[in-house]
Amino acid sequence: MIDSTTNSRFSTKQLIVIYTIISLVGLLIVWELVARFTSASMFLPPASEVLAAFARSFVEPIGQHTMLAHVGVSLYRVAVAFIFATIIGIALGVGMGYSKLFEAIFKPIFEFIRPIPPLAWIPLSILWFGLSDTGKFFIIFLGCFCFITVNTYDGAKNVDPELIGAARMLGASEKQVFFKIVLPSSVPYIFAGLQIAVTAGWSAVVGSEMIQSNEGVGWVIIRGMSTGNTVQIMVGIVAIGIVGFALANITSALERRLCSWNAQKGM
Amino acid sequence: MERSEGNVKTKTPVLECRNVGRSFDSYDGSGKNEVLRGMDFEVYENEFLVLFGAGQCGKTTLLNILAGLDMPTEGEVLARGQKVTKPAPERGFVYQKTSLFPWMTVEENVGFGPKVRHLPEKEVQERVKKYLDLVGLTGFEKSYPNQLSGGMRQRVGIARAYANEPDIMLMDEPFGHLDAQTRYMMEEELQRIWQKEKRTVVFVTNNIEEALFLADRIILLTNCPTHIKEEYEINMPHPRDYVDPEFLRLRQLITDNMDLTL
Amino acid sequence: MQENKQPKVQVRNLTKKFGDLLVLDNISFDVQAGEFLCIVGPTGCGKTTFLNSLTKLYEPTAGEILLDGQPVDLKKQNIAYIFQEYSTMPWLTVEENVGFGLDIKGVEKSKAQALVNEYLDIVGLTKYRKYYPDQLSASMLQRVVIARAFATQPDLLLMDEPYGQLDIQLRYHLEDELISLWQRTGTTVIFITHNIEEAVYLGQRILVLTNKPTSIKQAIDNDLPRPRDIASPDFVKLRNEVTDLIKWW
Repeated sequence: MIDSTTNSRFSTKQLIVIYTIISLVGLLIVWELVARFTSASMFLPPASEVLAAFARSFVEPIGQHTMLAHVGVSLYRVAVAFIFATIIGIALGVGMGYSKLFEAIFKPIFEFIRPIPPLAWIPLSILWFGLSDTGKFFIIFLGCFCFITVNTYDGAKNVDPELIGAARMLGASEKQVFFKIVLPSSVPYIFAGLQIAVTAGWSAVVGSEMIQSNEGVGWVIIRGMSTGNTVQIMVGIVAIGIVGFALANITSALERRLCSWNAQKGM
Repeated sequence: MERSEGNVKTKTPVLECRNVGRSFDSYDGSGKNEVLRGMDFEVYENEFLVLFGAGQCGKTTLLNILAGLDMPTEGEVLARGQKVTKPAPERGFVYQKTSLFPWMTVEENVGFGPKVRHLPEKEVQERVKKYLDLVGLTGFEKSYPNQLSGGMRQRVGIARAYANEPDIMLMDEPFGHLDAQTRYMMEEELQRIWQKEKRTVVFVTNNIEEALFLADRIILLTNCPTHIKEEYEINMPHPRDYVDPEFLRLRQLITDNMDLTL
Repeated sequence: MQENKQPKVQVRNLTKKFGDLLVLDNISFDVQAGEFLCIVGPTGCGKTTFLNSLTKLYEPTAGEILLDGQPVDLKKQNIAYIFQEYSTMPWLTVEENVGFGLDIKGVEKSKAQALVNEYLDIVGLTKYRKYYPDQLSASMLQRVVIARAFATQPDLLLMDEPYGQLDIQLRYHLEDELISLWQRTGTTVIFITHNIEEAVYLGQRILVLTNKPTSIKQAIDNDLPRPRDIASPDFVKLRNEVTDLIKWW
């Protein structure tokens, strides 16, 4: 049990921030030292160099674009696919959780697709969609849709039956039970799914851009590899990390706002 | 209360429970698990009927059957002469866990019933206001259930049931989770509310003080399978006193008649 | 037990603040060895904070708690707790649950087994020793918990509203069982409850708390003869007296 009064100089919240900063700075220092003073320096450029190049990438273009534009292109791809995945994932998840018939029809198909890693679809996607953006949407969609579906499905399955009973007793129709009880009560689950999915989608975009593309952060990395530019690879990785971190935090902030009723699991 | 035993019986019952039995298939499928047996009783207009008994088994099942949320395997339930086959807003339900919708504010919870039944918005608002006032929660319209204390949540539950202006209220150990003192308060509150807005109430509890404090009539249930053991008319005037000699006498009498489930 | 010069438990000027919020305000009391003390306060009084301070989950802001004249040290001294939740380990049998506390304290196997047998017998669960908790009724679970607590032969037994949700007959039954166990073992018991009747039924002495910031409103000696009759005029009188001190509703 954390006793808030024992440590009077900093609040728990401040302590968390302080430790986070220490941990990040520590990582950079270790990286720098390893890169400078061990044999790893052949493959691992020092942190300072990578960070400098990263900063430069916002003004000097890599290929046709600066870093901001590469990130923008990648984000756009994720966004489009993510929206489709969200709509289809929620519909499929709630449907399977609420209706036994729906579950019987779609669950086997879904369970078959679920374990296939999104990158395994890439060859097929190239055959089907060529090298257009559609193929990338397809891969990213597959990368995030399963998480949304599974979580939504869990949520819809776990609606307190007493809440459904209470709504029926108050005169709610089946449709009202679905939209006013089952759906909102699954929202915290859906958000958990979206949070995993957005990160997974972000990983998938990098993968799909690495295969064939001439823009986007994935391309920055693969381009760095083919030109033997380790610094550029690392710059791409840093960008991916930062954006991924930001996305995860934005969704969880959104969740806190929208699901404040769920803050403490009351009765 | 001017209602005497004589004239109660002449009234038409609001709810009739006719020889209701309920069995479930046992988990291993080898046989039947009988929960209710031969439940036969009526509930009269504006009566406060308490179903009192120990243990978990049976009481909630019975209330669910009265509500139409569950079907008996034997016998039938009639509401104003009509067979009960599904839940209906004419029967309000108050739960032990309150089962408020956690994503809705207090006023959205209370207005839920009138709203899903498509009453005009003005009427919905009026009812919300009226019943929040009745349970003493005016000023908490915009709060969420998790911001309220246990007693307040239960008041919202009662207001929500009242807002549908049901013909009969079914209450399933609504104060079971509250501490002894909050419980006394809520019992007094419910009594006040009920005196002000009479409804036919079926109230389930395993707390003898609560039963005696509230009831016009107590039906003592036995355990497993649940059936009726005894019926008591309670004619003490309201407000009742938990340590009144008559109260304590009845308490002893009924407790001695209970099954001890060890 | 009055010849015992040193009280079993001494609470001295116990004060607890959370930031600027004063929750426990200068509480002092003693518990004699072998005493059954009931503590009762209004809903929302700092009951949990009080308990957590007693058990050292919270460091008090000021004041001290002495057990046998020593500051409480859970590694050396033995305090047993019984809460409202049954808190049996679902993966252990009845026997293993009862022996759990002894096991943790490193009591030697054969001695532990003897104690487990003894207390299983006292609470009447010998027949059920190989059962798992989810095969037992509420009352049996409660007995497992009681046996587990008494088996460790605690210096102090703390009970926090253990019978709050039980049927009344069952509660009577378990309360009587508790009293007889206490009389047999001479354990020192602090029993915290919201239920005034229960406090009057069980306690040798009743400590009435105020609302937050919590302090002691009054200590009442209760020498009604046992077994106590809840309908007797003396009982009702004492119950009313305590109720008047607490009533907020």
